[in-house]
Amino acid sequence: MHAFVADRRRLEFLAYALFIAGVLAMPLFIDAFWLNRIAKYLVYGMLGLAIALSWGYAGILNLGQGLFFGFGAYMAAMSLKLQSYTSLQQGSDKPIPDFMLWNAEPNAPTDLCCINEGSFLWLPFQAQWFGMAMAILAPTLIAYLVGSAIFRLRISGVYVAIITLALVLLTRLLIIDAQPVTNGFNGLTDLGWLTIGGFEFDPYMTQTYYLVAAGMVVVLLATRLLVATRAGLILQSTRDDPNRARYLGYNVAAYQVFFFTVSAAIAGFAGMLYVIAAEFASPTFMDLTFSISMVVWAAVGGRASLLGACIGAILINTIEASVSESEMLQEGWKLIIGFLFVLVVLFMPRGLAGLVNDMLDRIEAMLKPGAARPPATTKTAAATAAEKPGE
Amino acid sequence: MASAKGKALTIDGLTVDFGGFKAVDGFSMIVGDGELRVLLGANGAGKTTLMDLISGKTRSTDGSVHLYDLNITNQEEYRIARAGVGRKFQIPSIFRELTVEQNLIVAGTREPSVFRNLTFGINREGRRRLEDVVELTRLGDVLDRPAGELSHGETQWLELGMLVSQGARVILLDEPTAGMTQVETQKTAELINRMKGDHTILVVEHDMAFVREIASTITVMHLGKLLAEGSMAEIESNQAVRDAYLGSGGIH
Repeated sequence: MHAFVADRRRLEFLAYALFIAGVLAMPLFIDAFWLNRIAKYLVYGMLGLAIALSWGYAGILNLGQGLFFGFGAYMAAMSLKLQSYTSLQQGSDKPIPDFMLWNAEPNAPTDLCCINEGSFLWLPFQAQWFGMAMAILAPTLIAYLVGSAIFRLRISGVYVAIITLALVLLTRLLIIDAQPVTNGFNGLTDLGWLTIGGFEFDPYMTQTYYLVAAGMVVVLLATRLLVATRAGLILQSTRDDPNRARYLGYNVAAYQVFFFTVSAAIAGFAGMLYVIAAEFASPTFMDLTFSISMVVWAAVGGRASLLGACIGAILINTIEASVSESEMLQEGWKLIIGFLFVLVVLFMPRGLAGLVNDMLDRIEAMLKPGAARPPATTKTAAATAAEKPGE
Repeated sequence: MASAKGKALTIDGLTVDFGGFKAVDGFSMIVGDGELRVLLGANGAGKTTLMDLISGKTRSTDGSVHLYDLNITNQEEYRIARAGVGRKFQIPSIFRELTVEQNLIVAGTREPSVFRNLTFGINREGRRRLEDVVELTRLGDVLDRPAGELSHGETQWLELGMLVSQGARVILLDEPTAGMTQVETQKTAELINRMKGDHTILVVEHDMAFVREIASTITVMHLGKLLAEGSMAEIESNQAVRDAYLGSGGIH
């Protein structure tokens, strides 16, 4: 028992294994309705993880992660919209989104190429793979460009938060404004189902749950491995002291851009999976509150731990869904979450994951009082990541 | 010994003009390969600015800096670092949340590219170098501790160890003994003496006992210019140095 408790790496491995097993076993315990809900929360888990990667490991507080999630969602939704029966019912053999027809000029040709000025943008999305690929590529490219601009200018801390926040709000306005192409406020609804090799992923089927779960598990494990590489170590060093890293010969901006982009790609992928499970894409994905929520999930779960942030997101959303059934708590919940966030920031900067770690330290100290080490020495690499609250 | 063979650092007419104020003004100096050079000067003489100019933190307005045959004038900091210039700041600067070993791994990874660092651990060559540095800095007992928990002295030695891990050929040290106890200062002097020869070292230091311990050649700066250069004895008896900076008291 002693050796087992002492070995943090094995405990961390165990935690990952238990979590993944739990996720995969979920369909045994709950009905299709809740399964679909949980699938969405797994997507939120990926968002929490993406925030932990940029905030906890890179020290970059991105308050506009919804930008990448939203882009991923819209790209995927455009393809699925063209597959929807609503796009084929309009007296044409070529798919046209219904909202374009409703808003078309009287003499406009009923063709995707030119029904309105921007509709040609939809043309490549007739291929499903294109929408799915763009769901990851578009956020990646945008993050690369935005990140390059920000980090090469050595902008850091709260300024990154302000810039990313402004960007997501700006994009939200643009999307609402581009009503003929995006359906504005209403977003893209009545989507078709993802179809792979003739198999249709009905969002309420167990197979769809497993598609989302597999995506999340792969992302979780891949990111955990990524931060364990030397590049991950160097990234954490740029967070602790960018100047030192620079004088050791590292191009700090290159590391920040790389991991900012990876975080965005994860968010884009999450957006795609969300659309598959939820059957809509909406400008609310780019609301300020949504991007802030992601940060809250990561903070509560523990931004220094990828698994912690992921679980934090799933937990908060599951609780939220349960309590908001009661009318009294529906509005009060936001208050509770806000209060929880303040408490965590003040008293538990490493979130639930940090709490678990500290408890393990206590247990360890009790089991072998003679060899008690100072608590912080036993943290794993993941758990020792950023604690600076303002960064 | 590698000393007195090549020129490790050649500074020629280096000038920086901050809107009319020249913190470093036409300064020239040659530091030989493997040499340990001490830079003296009153506050505001331009010592730290000179280090900023060499390491790329500040851009010069005139003159040049060569590392061996390579022109490193006004390059990006990380490029100068990669070329072989290591720098230690006055305020200890290490990665507080990484362990001591992780600090040394980050410093000793000779590959700067993100993509080539997407592998785990370090190779045998890197492990051997790391062990050498641990031996040199005597940090073996604290390897698994987060660097933020080290004492002030240990922190400074870790930073020196990181410069060695980095493979820096020329090392710039800004007051390496500031805030240290007598014992710590002594250990630092030993450490720097052991680094001498393998590395060319340029030190800014005020502690004259420490300077006596380590210095072979001393360069004195005054108002951004070169005032004198020579051995400890020569500097102590130099009238211009006495007049300009040491006052009537002489060197203590």
